[in-house]
Amino acid sequence: MRVARWMPRSCAPLKPNQGGMSKNLSELSGRKGLGNNLFERIAEVSAVPEGDKGLRIEKLAEEFLVGTANVHGSLTFYDFLRPENQGKKVYVCNGSACLCARTQEKVHEKLGHHFSADEIGHMTCLGRCHENSAFHYDGKNYSGHAIEHIEDLVHGDRKNGLDEYRTGHIGNPVLTRARIQGPGAYQEMLEKLVDTAPDDVLNEIIASKLRGRGGAGFPIGLKLEGCRKEAGETKFIICNADEGDPGAYSDRYLLEKQIWSVLFGMQIAGYVTGASHGVLYIRGEYPEAIQVCQEAIQALHNHGLVGGDILGTGFGFEFRIIKAQGAYICGEETALINSIEGQRPEVRIRPPYPTQQGLFNKPTVVNNVETLAALPFILEHGGAAYADLGTDKSSGTKLMSLDSAFRRPGLYEVEMGTPLRDVIDLLGGGFRYSVKAMQIGGPLGGIVPVSEIDNLNVDFESFSNAGFLLGHASVVCIPGDFPMIRYLEHLFDFAAYESCGKCFPCRLGTKRGHEMMKKAVNGEYKIDRTLLSDLLDTLEQGSLCAHGGGIPLPVRNALAYFEAELQPYFQ
Amino acid sequence: MKNFAYINDQPYAFEPGETILSFVRRHKGEDSIPTLCDAPNLEAFGSCRVCSVDVALEQDGKTKTLASCHTPIAHGQYIYPDSRSIRKLRKNIIELVVTDHPLDCLTCEVNGNCELQTVAGQVGITGIRYPEGENHLDRKKDNSHPYMVSDLSKCINCYRCVRACDEVQGEFVLSMAGRGFDSKIIKGMDQTFFDSDCVSCGACAQACPTAAITDVFQSKSNRVTEKTRTTCTYCGVGCNLEVASAGDEVLSITAPYDAEVNSGHTCVKGRYAFQFYDHPDRLRSPLIRKDGEFVKATWEEAYDLIESKIREYKSGYGPDFLAGISSSRCTNEENYLMQKFMRAVVGTNNIDGCARVCHSPTALGMQRTFGTGAATNSIEDLYHTECILLIGANPTEAHPVTGARIKQVVMKGVPLIVLDPRKTELAKYAQHHLALRPGTNVAVLNMMMHYIWKDGLIDQSFIEHRTEGFDQFVEEISKLDVDEMSRISGVSKEEARAAAITYGKAARAMSFHGLGVTEHYQGTFTVMQIANLAMLTGNIGKKGVGVNPLRGQNNVQGSADMGVQPHQGAGYLDITQPEVQQRYSTFYGVDVPKHVGFKIPEMFDAAMNGKLKMIWIIGEDVVQTDPNTQKVIKALESTDFVVVQELFMTETAKYADVVLPGASFLEKSGTFTNGERRVQRVNQVLKPIGNAKADGQIIIDMMQRLGYDQPDYTPDGMLEEISQIVPFFAGIKWDNLGKQGKQWPVREDGQDTEILHADSFKRGKGYFEFHPFEESAEVEENQKEFPYILTTNRNLVHYNCGAMTRRTGNVQIISEDVLFIHPEDAARHFIEEGDLVCLESARGKVDIKAHVSDEVRPGVVSTTFHFPEIMVNNITSDVHDSEAMCPEYKVVSVRMRKSKGKYAIKGEKRVGEAVSEVRG
Repeated sequence: MRVARWMPRSCAPLKPNQGGMSKNLSELSGRKGLGNNLFERIAEVSAVPEGDKGLRIEKLAEEFLVGTANVHGSLTFYDFLRPENQGKKVYVCNGSACLCARTQEKVHEKLGHHFSADEIGHMTCLGRCHENSAFHYDGKNYSGHAIEHIEDLVHGDRKNGLDEYRTGHIGNPVLTRARIQGPGAYQEMLEKLVDTAPDDVLNEIIASKLRGRGGAGFPIGLKLEGCRKEAGETKFIICNADEGDPGAYSDRYLLEKQIWSVLFGMQIAGYVTGASHGVLYIRGEYPEAIQVCQEAIQALHNHGLVGGDILGTGFGFEFRIIKAQGAYICGEETALINSIEGQRPEVRIRPPYPTQQGLFNKPTVVNNVETLAALPFILEHGGAAYADLGTDKSSGTKLMSLDSAFRRPGLYEVEMGTPLRDVIDLLGGGFRYSVKAMQIGGPLGGIVPVSEIDNLNVDFESFSNAGFLLGHASVVCIPGDFPMIRYLEHLFDFAAYESCGKCFPCRLGTKRGHEMMKKAVNGEYKIDRTLLSDLLDTLEQGSLCAHGGGIPLPVRNALAYFEAELQPYFQ
Repeated sequence: MKNFAYINDQPYAFEPGETILSFVRRHKGEDSIPTLCDAPNLEAFGSCRVCSVDVALEQDGKTKTLASCHTPIAHGQYIYPDSRSIRKLRKNIIELVVTDHPLDCLTCEVNGNCELQTVAGQVGITGIRYPEGENHLDRKKDNSHPYMVSDLSKCINCYRCVRACDEVQGEFVLSMAGRGFDSKIIKGMDQTFFDSDCVSCGACAQACPTAAITDVFQSKSNRVTEKTRTTCTYCGVGCNLEVASAGDEVLSITAPYDAEVNSGHTCVKGRYAFQFYDHPDRLRSPLIRKDGEFVKATWEEAYDLIESKIREYKSGYGPDFLAGISSSRCTNEENYLMQKFMRAVVGTNNIDGCARVCHSPTALGMQRTFGTGAATNSIEDLYHTECILLIGANPTEAHPVTGARIKQVVMKGVPLIVLDPRKTELAKYAQHHLALRPGTNVAVLNMMMHYIWKDGLIDQSFIEHRTEGFDQFVEEISKLDVDEMSRISGVSKEEARAAAITYGKAARAMSFHGLGVTEHYQGTFTVMQIANLAMLTGNIGKKGVGVNPLRGQNNVQGSADMGVQPHQGAGYLDITQPEVQQRYSTFYGVDVPKHVGFKIPEMFDAAMNGKLKMIWIIGEDVVQTDPNTQKVIKALESTDFVVVQELFMTETAKYADVVLPGASFLEKSGTFTNGERRVQRVNQVLKPIGNAKADGQIIIDMMQRLGYDQPDYTPDGMLEEISQIVPFFAGIKWDNLGKQGKQWPVREDGQDTEILHADSFKRGKGYFEFHPFEESAEVEENQKEFPYILTTNRNLVHYNCGAMTRRTGNVQIISEDVLFIHPEDAARHFIEEGDLVCLESARGKVDIKAHVSDEVRPGVVSTTFHFPEIMVNNITSDVHDSEAMCPEYKVVSVRMRKSKGKYAIKGEKRVGEAVSEVRG
């Protein structure tokens, strides 16, 4: 019998893959290329007055040959685009570090003198974890003492926006002392790049054993090799600059202070894979980073270091910045790809992997800012030099973000394998006040009790062997007097709020988990231990991506290390 | 050994590329792994996670939990589909699901047929342990639509509806809004079904595993019913349908997933527009006109009268004073009987059918070029082609399932070239839309062939080995005045060349055409040019190529196959050839007539000239649908005795002397042949309504009365007879058609044919024949006074004269014909949206409501003729295709002005009134 399928797997010209997303929408969005980007066009529509919005949505849908439902569906996903958030004038950071620093009640109260309750919204982590009291007003971020000057601010005096934080390092610095600090050095390195065969560059990257810094730790060399092998004229390099992990500001640092390394890293990846488009997907919460990046790309244009045929070499590469619109899940690479396409940023299934079928169904490499920023070092010094840094399995260096609980908060670079104790004492200068635990590696990272500090080194293996996660290596301190149950409620709240809603375990499980914690905090409910354990198993085992799959780790850590404190909340 | 993996430690072979889900289910049965977000016609999605299994790399090794629906199986893997941990995981997921789902199963319409209910039972849900939290149980029901219903409190967010709307129908009406726990299904911009752009295909309702999206017919309910597999009565796609019935009532219709033709999909007509079958308007008894009024009669009385008239005219005037029009809505068997009746019993070749007014030029043109007048390839070939050329067809409206498939393929990157004066839905997705002036197909196709030749894109080897007449042809095509053709057609040379290159360069290019090709003065020649274009580029005889007419009516292919043509008998044999006459005479047992009979327009001419005394029309509303209505009416009035066999009192039936109540497709068995030559079974669901009779039996009754020994109607008996006379039906038996039917030619051993002309053409070599563009007389003579061109077309929810669809909920979706006018033209005449426009041609005037739209180009207006209130055919012309006499519905010279309403026959009517008018 002939195969009775609606769309046989052999359907030309696509490969016989399944996508878990709309291939049609990917193609239709891709028809307009990056020049006329559906996601940006949708973002424009968000600001249109409600009365005119319907017509604008219809026109946009018609132009892209998609449904109005697709546009509406995307519009209602993002914090910054949702119709109910259009009246917001100021946003208060509600990330973990600001929560633990307990600064935000005061920020709220002060803002309340100038804005109505409806005008005050939330953003989850503005990356000002080193001084807290963070808020976002009129396209800029403020923190630390800025709230004291709110009066001046609303009257147009913006000078209090800049923040400062310490940087430093243990071991050999790669990222914080980068060679390229402007177009001049950029050009020298670019000349070196195009003088080297792509295969040789790739081999150096493979030899460096550099692993992705976004959380999963996948070797970038393999990713680039996979993409290089794919046929096709159009390929993309995406820099995942949607660092949404509360507590982490390492990407912000790189984008604002080491943008040349980031951009050049993307260009190296493009050269190796045959991709000529580089997309920087940058958090809308980081307006300053977007600006720095724009200026740097403009400078590269002025120097002829980007474009169709760079320096007459035949190698072409163009950058494109896409401003994200407030959805933590976009840090997940397939959700990020959907986002750029204007689709709802829901997580895709794998296979196909993005290297096979990514942006607009084309081969795509998605890497974190920190990973890409390490590539220029490898080009300059060779893969072996990079592999010499750090440990055998975790080569190179890692950026760490220390929050305001430290005496010397800041952004530090350490060689992989550095004892955690050294980071805390030598770089951070110890804690300013009593701290009982640290959540390291973002909201899905482990909760490390201070008693475990001496057992950990900063590398992937040390953390995972001990039942934690290195992740983004951001450090958020939980004060000694901060109730752990409140922290767990916060984590579940965050997980539920940021769940894309695609898979059943995460959509329902994070919500029910949050409800259990909230009711427990309020004294309305004693947690059923078996039920919580079943819920955590379900999330971990069943979730489609690391969002739902990751939340059980810190919860389990807390249950293990703070059993006595939590006991009263259980049946 | 390769490609082996283990299920619970037992080895099984897998097929490369298959998922764990497919692997396990193939070996362990459909119930071996439960799923919720998976559906047979959708891509894997991975949202429910219920299909998770444990996977290890060695026996009892460390396991990893993976969703089986989207994880490919690999050699040597150990799959544990129902380990303790997996069973617990599934139960825990379902427990979470039911925390936000109503527990009112007993009063739910899908009780007993709900996938969530089934899976909840399978995993052993007995209660909910979570403290009561937020839920969405208060979501309101959406009852806005005549068919579609939603109750999103029952939604489990599996996205099956969203994916069906995207991956199957390609409409993007459904999506999700919000995120996380609060995400919910939306229609359009969070509108109701009725206000959204929903095309009511019902794919979402069929896909939904619960009662979150259903339809008014409760098609997913578990009521005790009988299920009958049959073939749709509407268009030539030939969707397989599953009809649920109880006693004499049809409850609902769904589309079976295992149907090759439609793979679980169908359209608003096939799925929902069935209520006509027992509408109060159905003719339930024979009627005889007495003193100008219809009076109920018995079958005996009606038969007596008809028999006496036939005998009277036959002996008094000769058999050629009688004519028959058979119906493409009827089965092959009935069409065969009608032509046999006319030829063998009455003794005339005056037999024709509605193919005359639709695809007669296709049959003729393709016969001339290839030798066979039918689609060369199959719809399935869409998945193997690299270029689609769509000419004069609007399949997303008129052949919705094929249209949806084309759209799917095109959205995924296969280049589409559309030749159409209108910006049809598919034109919007096309790489090249050549928006030519109506009537200039030949000019544009000749331009394309000129450039294909000029750019060296011809297939020399194919031309050499498989064709003849090329040298003369190329001489003409090479010296074509492309500037002139461009001026005439309004298609620039650059556009024509770019399209030609896209078609010519594709390794496999496939063309589809519709009535925008045939219903023209140069219809047959256009078909021949399309066929020439295919031969020129070697696009014949393999997968993913060919010339593929989109046949209009469900069985228009079959009616011609069965001999409903005045010049060819059953099986397309030329009735003027002595050996053919001999063959038929021997087979029928009587001498058959030897000269070609009347085509339909010739029948009307003959009637007005006193040369026709009696006409028997089965299931065709010639008054409403044939051109130049007033002339048709005059012809019927001039015919002494008119018999109309119908379901309803149509505009044509009103002119009858005897009206016979026939049976709908639900009330009889037989076969329909779809546009890809696929002969499929039509299985009876109900007894004929009232005193109606199966049309085949009516014809046989009359044959027997007139002394011809024809056994009573049975589909198997009829097919047995047909298979002995129609060569390409040799292997078609009622019992071997199965669910999927067979594509003719079918050899005696039952082997059927997906692709024609693989090695040779029916006529030997393919024949190149050049025809230059010629302007239609309609334009030549009338364009000065009537400067606009009216072109007629179809819309999705109504079917032809609308006799059936207007008697269903479809009238609530579209309740009238409107005139599409380009904004510039509308402005010129001060016409605004909704104004009445007086449209006038050399034949007459009609008043019609304006719809200002850039779907038509300036200078062109278009409308449908589904509603008798407007009767657009009052103004269509007498011009016919020069070869096949197919009327030129597509080019009518008109002028227009804002109407004062003088000719507003019923233009302002609202839906309800229109229906009661019809009923009255």
